[in-house]
Amino acid sequence: MIYLDHAAATPVDKKVLNEMTPYFTEEFFNPSAPYLSAKYVREAYEDAKNRLAHTIGAKGTDLVITSGATESINLALSSFDNILALETEHPAVLQNTKHLTKIKVKSDGRIDLDDFKRKLTDKTEVVSVSLVNNEIGIIQPLAEISAIVREERAKRLEKGLKKPLYLHSDASQALNLLDISASRLGVDMMTLNAAKIGATKGVGALFVAHGVKLQSVIRGGGQEQGLRSGTENVPGVIGFALAAELAKSHLKSNRQKYSEYRQLFLKEIQHHLPDFQPTRPKKVSNTPYCLTFKHQIPTFLPLIFPGVDAERLIYKLEKKQVYVSTGAACAASKGQKSHVLTALGLSDSEIAGSLRVSLGSTNTKEQIIKAAKFVADVVKEEYVRQAR
Amino acid sequence: MSAKPAKTVYLGMSGGVDSSVSAILLKEQGYKVVGVYMKNWSRDLPGMKCPWAEDLADAKRVAVDLDIDFEVWDFEKDYKQKVVDYMLAEFKKGRTPNPDIMCNQEIKFKLFYETALSHGADFIATGHYAQVSLGAGPAAASSPTALSLVGVPQAASPAPTLLRAVDENKDQTYFLYRISDEALSRTIFPIGHLKKPEVKRIAAEHGLANAHKKESMGVCFVGEVGMKDFLKSYIDIKPGEIREQETNKLLGHHEGAIFYTIGQRHGLYVGGGLPYYVVKKDLIKNILYVSKDLNHPALWTTELELEDVIVRNEGDVFLREFGARQRENQRRTPVATGRADAARKSISPSLMVRLRHRAPLIPCEFDGHKIIFKEPIKRPASGQSAVLYIGKVCVGGGIIK
Repeated sequence: MIYLDHAAATPVDKKVLNEMTPYFTEEFFNPSAPYLSAKYVREAYEDAKNRLAHTIGAKGTDLVITSGATESINLALSSFDNILALETEHPAVLQNTKHLTKIKVKSDGRIDLDDFKRKLTDKTEVVSVSLVNNEIGIIQPLAEISAIVREERAKRLEKGLKKPLYLHSDASQALNLLDISASRLGVDMMTLNAAKIGATKGVGALFVAHGVKLQSVIRGGGQEQGLRSGTENVPGVIGFALAAELAKSHLKSNRQKYSEYRQLFLKEIQHHLPDFQPTRPKKVSNTPYCLTFKHQIPTFLPLIFPGVDAERLIYKLEKKQVYVSTGAACAASKGQKSHVLTALGLSDSEIAGSLRVSLGSTNTKEQIIKAAKFVADVVKEEYVRQAR
Repeated sequence: MSAKPAKTVYLGMSGGVDSSVSAILLKEQGYKVVGVYMKNWSRDLPGMKCPWAEDLADAKRVAVDLDIDFEVWDFEKDYKQKVVDYMLAEFKKGRTPNPDIMCNQEIKFKLFYETALSHGADFIATGHYAQVSLGAGPAAASSPTALSLVGVPQAASPAPTLLRAVDENKDQTYFLYRISDEALSRTIFPIGHLKKPEVKRIAAEHGLANAHKKESMGVCFVGEVGMKDFLKSYIDIKPGEIREQETNKLLGHHEGAIFYTIGQRHGLYVGGGLPYYVVKKDLIKNILYVSKDLNHPALWTTELELEDVIVRNEGDVFLREFGARQRENQRRTPVATGRADAARKSISPSLMVRLRHRAPLIPCEFDGHKIIFKEPIKRPASGQSAVLYIGKVCVGGGIIK
């Protein structure tokens, strides 16, 4: 198997699994139970939360553990009415509110700061911009965005306006490649996801800076500072903490490795498909290419084969045990056109012919070489069928 | 492959094993096959998930496997108008319609057929268990030589014959009796000559991912939850009384009279003792009348009045019995070929009727309007279809009044 969809899911790291296992079978106690054994579980949980928080330069008490990125985003946004979000955000953001204004992206996939400034008003309560886009891996200039948010806050202070303004960022796709510090990025809330870094699905976290007032979405026993009730997912958080630490310790080597893999993949596919371009052509044509951007994490290779039906490529590749995706997995399963590629101005034919290759821990150099050939092969097969 | 360019077949692909194997067989026979997924219904209703996206992926996977073209045609608007609205209107009248029959008549063998032709199709095909023979009447078709022609249309002919599938257990001609001669004459049923186990074997041999897929039953969009919940989200339903027909005694309450058909014995919530059967529905007062008497006259009949009668195969044995009258009628009224709208006399000893999909064939007589039985039968629900056969040949049918 050659798995090229790490942006959708990652296998649980063996070390992570081993760390989690005792908390399923032996140390299974409810951390809120009154006996000593349960207290030890509570301690292990809080310790894990602290370690997880430290990877983004925060304290354990700044984190609310959730059931994943979608819940984190919902918790971050649902207390507010006026939200300003990037048009290329995940549906968890875009579907979240009735009063959502979309900020445009430029052709390089990054936020249009002028458009952002224009749309930022006295009424805006939250700005939501992902650190790394989940479809094409573009990195947004969070520090610049937070500087604009700070300016707006200062203006409100001068005007005597009490309405708070927060910055939320979805960093689900970023933990294993970017050195993230919540304070350095200047975010008030940040969504984290365990499933994308070798921990389990169904575990996420929301970083909430001191002073940010949120209303809980899930009410009950008052866990997680009252913001997210429900018995703590102890093994999930223990696994999440270790996975985040491992990611942090490999940031540099990961970046280097995946940059090499990315170059290799592009070189190989060019070898098999000579008219393939490693970057987006200036003019719209039928030339196949990779949507490469200056600010993009190296694990993402959005491949565009204009005029080809990418779903057909996926079904052909799965027969060869090569797993790739179109766009985001959730949108793809509904047969919807990618709003991210639409925002970048791609034509319908380019969007229909787009594959999302996302590299990760399971990949080797040999796999990259093979996968590039398989992708080129099935594309050529489609060209042949179309010519019939 | 021969020097002649291959004929093009547009095949309706649902993602199920029957249409998938149809694709395999057509390709093996040298046709240029274009798989089409008809997107008829994609709305999720409360409590039920329409499986269209998964079905579409399954269908497309098979097409890609076979390296054939594949398209998705959006028929949602037409399906809603022609099938769903018809169905709802019938239920509101207290009848029990058959949307699958309407779907075949209006969508698969009309809209799909016409669209396919406009795309350059020579034929259409579906994974129905049914057979078609061109230019062979029922007498010929019942002989083994003629049957060998079945499955692939041989030549243009004004009178295609619709025949039951070889697998009698799976035969779907009950749902097809209303499709037009024109569409039928250009239709291929690639698996009509196969039994279901053979179809499954072919699927497994080709390693089709959906070889073991659960069969879809009944109306596609109603899915797992069933007609009742579907209707609830479209029609205002008021609970009402259940009364005993003989005594007018109040026995309990029902969820809405339209949910019940005459003769139905389940779900009356009246509890205990002998079962009750619905014998009358008063839709105005919203009262359901029931009886314990299994011999109640409302439950039995020796004749059925039909409306919207279709007579297939002009010139075949069935029509020769009363052909003169039929031809005269057609001269008088410019109705579509094969449609009978006036009283006729037909007493054919081998005439059989089917009153539900897969129900046994019952000997009968038919005069063009009315089906007459020698012995009383349990009365089928009005709105359902009665489909007529002579031997293997489907000779028509109508909707029960």
